[in-house]
Amino acid sequence: MSGWWFVGSFGEALFFASFFLVGVVCLTTLVGWQFLSPTTQVVKIGYGFWLLTTVSAAFIVMGAVGFWYRVLKVATSDEHREIIAKHGLVSRPNRPHPKVLLPPMVPLLTPFTDSPGAKLAYRLPGEWPGTGALICIGLFAMAWNAMIAVFCVFAVGGFLQGKVQYKLIVLLVPGFYIGLRAGQLFFRSYVREIGIGSTTVEIEDLPLVPGRTYKLLLVQYGRLVIKKLSIRLVCEEESTYHFGTDVRTERAVVWLQPIMEQGRCRIDWGRPLELESQFSIPLEAMHSFQSLHNAIHWKIIVEGEANRWPSYSRSFPVIVYPLVRNKPVSPQS
Amino acid sequence: MIRLLGLQPTYMSHDVLEFEYRISNIHQNTISAIEVSVVWLTEGKGTEDLGVHFFQRLTGNSLAASDWSLPQKVQVPLPDSPLSYEGKLLKISWCVRVRFYLNDGTELVAQQPFYLGTVTREV
Repeated sequence: MSGWWFVGSFGEALFFASFFLVGVVCLTTLVGWQFLSPTTQVVKIGYGFWLLTTVSAAFIVMGAVGFWYRVLKVATSDEHREIIAKHGLVSRPNRPHPKVLLPPMVPLLTPFTDSPGAKLAYRLPGEWPGTGALICIGLFAMAWNAMIAVFCVFAVGGFLQGKVQYKLIVLLVPGFYIGLRAGQLFFRSYVREIGIGSTTVEIEDLPLVPGRTYKLLLVQYGRLVIKKLSIRLVCEEESTYHFGTDVRTERAVVWLQPIMEQGRCRIDWGRPLELESQFSIPLEAMHSFQSLHNAIHWKIIVEGEANRWPSYSRSFPVIVYPLVRNKPVSPQS
Repeated sequence: MIRLLGLQPTYMSHDVLEFEYRISNIHQNTISAIEVSVVWLTEGKGTEDLGVHFFQRLTGNSLAASDWSLPQKVQVPLPDSPLSYEGKLLKISWCVRVRFYLNDGTELVAQQPFYLGTVTREV
């Protein structure tokens, strides 16, 4: 940053203040004119009126938020802003502490403990990295094919009325091809994601605490021949940062511990593969951490190779609490 | 100047962080506000995050009521987390920070880092 920072911040605050004022003037003029002198009003109530009202309101909100954000940035320190964000501008009296204190900046345990397991205490929720892409491909295929179907109806309607729309037909040929390929890609991804069969992981206790050993149960459903199946405990750092106008996320594995490996075996419908194992969290392990732009995740990763299927990887996040001397950290009730 | 009163700059969860700060070479009348905070912050590849564990702002009467020729002692019980950490992409560090706002608009900052927990590097 070059120049005197105060001038820049003052300029930004002035810019947003002018936004706010323009919004207020426009909105007041629109609404006031409408109610005080409806006969001379240029913009009658209708689409244009509501559009102008919305734009003026947007100017007011954007101007007010931007102005106060800049002012607070100049007038208060980073720590003071953080406290205002947490407790508000007016300090409130101290409330009594809740019975159960959760360690700060550690993700909530509720999403991990709301599903009981069949043999062990909890069934871990899975993270399917391919699901988002599958949904996107599915939505695209659906929307594209629906659009092509509508154009087809127009083309057929024109043909039946004796007016052949050659330009539309020429456009429909690549459209059909794209729709077909999108559908094919979706069903191929769908079979790959769903066809192998679901994987469930159950765990003896949550949250995990460094230095303790836990039982783990893996159940792999489906009808396939497994060539190799491995379970690993992984600790991963995640950082999000701005690069120009992009927001990028970088991940790095900082701890990897093999829990179990299974060789060739056959799974059938109604006879899932069940693997029991144990693992320990290292005594000097960092706890799970989640802030706005940075995180430390612990997860159990199941990787498999099966005959006639592409290899797959499924991830099951877990929460590691910090090890507290003299006093165990209370898990969430 | 900030001085940690513990024997070592390493503390465990629930320990009480005791520190003192004093002002030298600045006349008391020239100070308009003082902010004392105990914060953790992230450093590294990602955008920096900041968490405030303890915050105290002294202005007006509360500022005038103190004898600034003596060191000001503060005691803060420390939380369970986040523990200090040095990883590949991410570093979490704790520090005591004191900001002085002078009447002429100048802002002076002093900070003293300390370590929370014994996770000293990536596991």
